Amino acid sequence: MNRGPAATPDHSLRLRLQEGPSKRARFVADQTSTANQWPADAAPYDLISPARKRLGWALMAAATIGLLATILLQILYKSEVDTIGFETWRPVVYAYVLWGVAIGIGQVLTRGEDGQRALFLLPALLFTIAMVIFPTLFGFYIALTDWNLSSFNGRRFNGLDNFWQMLSDPYYRNALFNMVLYVLAVLVEYVIAFGLALLLNAQIRARKFFRVVFLMPLMLSPVAVSWMIGKSLMEYRFGPAATLARHLGWENPAFFSDPITARISVMLLDAWTFIPFMMIMLLAGLQAMSREVLEAARVDGANAWQTFWQVTFPLMLPVSVTAVILRIIFKLKLADIIITVTSGGPGGATDSVSSFIYREYRDRSNVGYGTMLAMAYLVIIVVFVTWLLKLANRFVRNVN
Amino acid sequence: MKTDIYEKLVRAGATRRDVLKGAASMAAIAAASGVGLGASTRPASAASELRAKILQIPGVGKGQPTDADFQKVGELCLEATKANVKEGEFAGVELKFMGLNNQNLHNVLFRGFLKPWEAYTGAKISWIDLAQADYNARLQQSIATGTVDFDIAEMGAPFEGDVCGKGLTSVMPDWVKKQIDIDDLVNYLKPPVGTWDGKQYRVTIDGDTHNFNYRTDVFADADLAKQWKDSGGAGEWGVPKTWQQVQAVTKFLKGKKFKGQDVYGYLDAPKPWGGFGFYFLGSRATAYAKHPDDKAWLFDADTMKPRINNPAWVRAIQDVIDALPSEPADQINADPNTTGFQQFLAGTGSMIPWWGDIGSNVKTNDSSVIGDLCGFDILPGSDDVYNSKTGKWDKLPSGPNYAPNLAYLGWGVYVMARVDSDPKKQKAAWSAAAHLGGKDLAIWTAMYPSGFQCYRNSQHDIDEWVAAGYDKAFITSYLDSQFNSYNHPNGAIEPRIPGIFQYYSAAEDILANTFAGKMKAQEGADAIAAAWEKLTDQIGREKQVKLYKASLGM
Repeated sequence: MNRGPAATPDHSLRLRLQEGPSKRARFVADQTSTANQWPADAAPYDLISPARKRLGWALMAAATIGLLATILLQILYKSEVDTIGFETWRPVVYAYVLWGVAIGIGQVLTRGEDGQRALFLLPALLFTIAMVIFPTLFGFYIALTDWNLSSFNGRRFNGLDNFWQMLSDPYYRNALFNMVLYVLAVLVEYVIAFGLALLLNAQIRARKFFRVVFLMPLMLSPVAVSWMIGKSLMEYRFGPAATLARHLGWENPAFFSDPITARISVMLLDAWTFIPFMMIMLLAGLQAMSREVLEAARVDGANAWQTFWQVTFPLMLPVSVTAVILRIIFKLKLADIIITVTSGGPGGATDSVSSFIYREYRDRSNVGYGTMLAMAYLVIIVVFVTWLLKLANRFVRNVN
Repeated sequence: MKTDIYEKLVRAGATRRDVLKGAASMAAIAAASGVGLGASTRPASAASELRAKILQIPGVGKGQPTDADFQKVGELCLEATKANVKEGEFAGVELKFMGLNNQNLHNVLFRGFLKPWEAYTGAKISWIDLAQADYNARLQQSIATGTVDFDIAEMGAPFEGDVCGKGLTSVMPDWVKKQIDIDDLVNYLKPPVGTWDGKQYRVTIDGDTHNFNYRTDVFADADLAKQWKDSGGAGEWGVPKTWQQVQAVTKFLKGKKFKGQDVYGYLDAPKPWGGFGFYFLGSRATAYAKHPDDKAWLFDADTMKPRINNPAWVRAIQDVIDALPSEPADQINADPNTTGFQQFLAGTGSMIPWWGDIGSNVKTNDSSVIGDLCGFDILPGSDDVYNSKTGKWDKLPSGPNYAPNLAYLGWGVYVMARVDSDPKKQKAAWSAAAHLGGKDLAIWTAMYPSGFQCYRNSQHDIDEWVAAGYDKAFITSYLDSQFNSYNHPNGAIEPRIPGIFQYYSAAEDILANTFAGKMKAQEGADAIAAAWEKLTDQIGREKQVKLYKASLGM
């Protein structure tokens, strides 16, 4: 009976002595170093017996075949090709979990210590596959189907039909165009946020109080902001903002009736909520900046304007870029304010991609097409943000 | 009944004496009327006594009903169940009930009503509570993924196409029809509503329709009447009876002052509202589009070809476009919630269509300033009606064409087909549904806050309402507008086809663009028709045609 290398130290010693000085030296080091000691039953890769490896491979192969067979069986059952299968997909999940366990054991059996190290990573990896990668891939598949929840035929693969439909969809194009405008508005928000951060970084009275006050909008849910400001303060008939506007000479202060005014109003609401986010990041950057540099500039005779443009702004660029990019990512998700206040109107002037997808998916149960819109948007975002990061890196490098 | 109207009565302080007096008089009337057949073959006097008794729980003006009250009412209304079910007959049966929890009503009440039923029958009910906004998605996902995990569902009639049309519901046994006295339903809730292929599925517990709400003071104002005459307005100044008059009045009132403030006429709701906003265009269109000789009005019954781009609907869309410049400046951003609750109740505008909620809020809602200034009627008619068969506008010899928009058709309780394999469970589920749809329980839910409106002819007994503490003139006007819509011979019935809200939602997006001036009325209507055709093909045209016909009882 082969007891395996881990339980036969003499045998392993003999093997190692036969392998030349370098391996021997490592063996000695392993024997003497307490820091590198591994559990007593752990075995380095080269000490694992072929039988144990075979067992590990067999286990992993059996588990993989089992998982694939379960998936195949269930697919055939659900597509009514055969009559053997499970009522729900839950057994497939169980098979996946068992497969994960088997892979873990298989790793230890076939790779010894390296396999045990892999166990630290494997659960997280399998979890990510199950919760992120698989749903994303499945999402891409759904995007290629004609799936209306009310349809009598259920889900039906329709290739790139949804994609072509998307390209000719004026409502989606309109929403994308609006997103460009919304993203450009981030630059204005950045200027305001920088101004506020400079103000709160200066030696002003009640600085702490103002810091808390300026942060408060960020603590509010956008839905609450929508109701409190968009649907109350800015309400045409009794809203205080509308009343004030009337006093200031605006005869019909309708904030959401004209396309341009409505778009600006939505931008203002969103900016009011998220400027504090940029402001707090910029403020942290300003506070982390070395005072010596500023003092040196002053000693060299720079005035406030020169100090800002020649010293503060360049030094703040890395923080600024981070703040702007994070804000753009938030902006790309803009939906709640629009859904609550304008429903995308008037005439689609304020519609965002997310609010349009929300209507397509939720109100119209058009799962296939809605998913295609979401997936296309995901790709656009990934490409755009990657490009933005590269551009930002180059910009920061050039300036500094 | 809506919460607000009840709270108004509480605030008005209806005394216990009033209530008792009403109850006593009702009992006397019942006693004097001799014997008769009640809901479930009980003598009329016993039925009246029971109704008078439950209407004292907790008593109008005695505060908000509690769970204990729901249980008491449920207990008192158990007689009908006892006639069909033996005590403990459903021991060991477990049922799952899916419904709403809007405003702490619906399922919250059902729990209380069904507790005595559970105690008597031995069955156990577990609950799936959903917010209104989550309901459609939950239901559709359950259906599409084949994971219907509930035995009984509270559901709106427009969803029947998705559920009954796909064979997911159990057919109502005859004993249930008898127990709930199904013949007492108002006309429009009788078959074909609640039925598919001639089989009854729904236990109705609510009624819904759009009625016409108007400002009595505006249309009785002498100064406005004079200005109307001076401007050459046709006929006498008064409440418009046709959409042509609504348009004329709305344009006339532009720029006018009334009681020192801007006065507006009709209020449109152009902003999308999750599909529900389409009902408001529907209310403008039914008088044009619903011909008395034709049951169909939204699609051609034989082909599902949309009628949304026919001259009748295009006229309704054009009416909105024409009226918007005469409405408040931000009307383009108004959804039905805004027109009803932020505008009309707050004194802006003098005419709107809505469900019964305006009537039940006008005297009770804190933001209402028109408590005694609101009148009710069925929706306006039209001097002419479009005949889809001839392609011409007809003038009816009887006068204007009226076609109340019977929007949404109210809530019902449905038993799912998955209980059919177990006769005991099936009977238990139907018994629970029948208990909730009982005739006596109905009058209580109509008078107390429940989320449900009237749906039975027996609820139109004004004396019963007055005896319970309601103002006679108000409740008469309000109930008449409801019941005259419910029982109208030319009512426009909601098409209960699968995915109906998808049709409405797609239309809302296009209409929003049309009302914003991006498209002409005909272009917008054609775009909606194209989107609907595509949707019909996606869902399955052949079956949609079949179900559409079935929903219209053709």
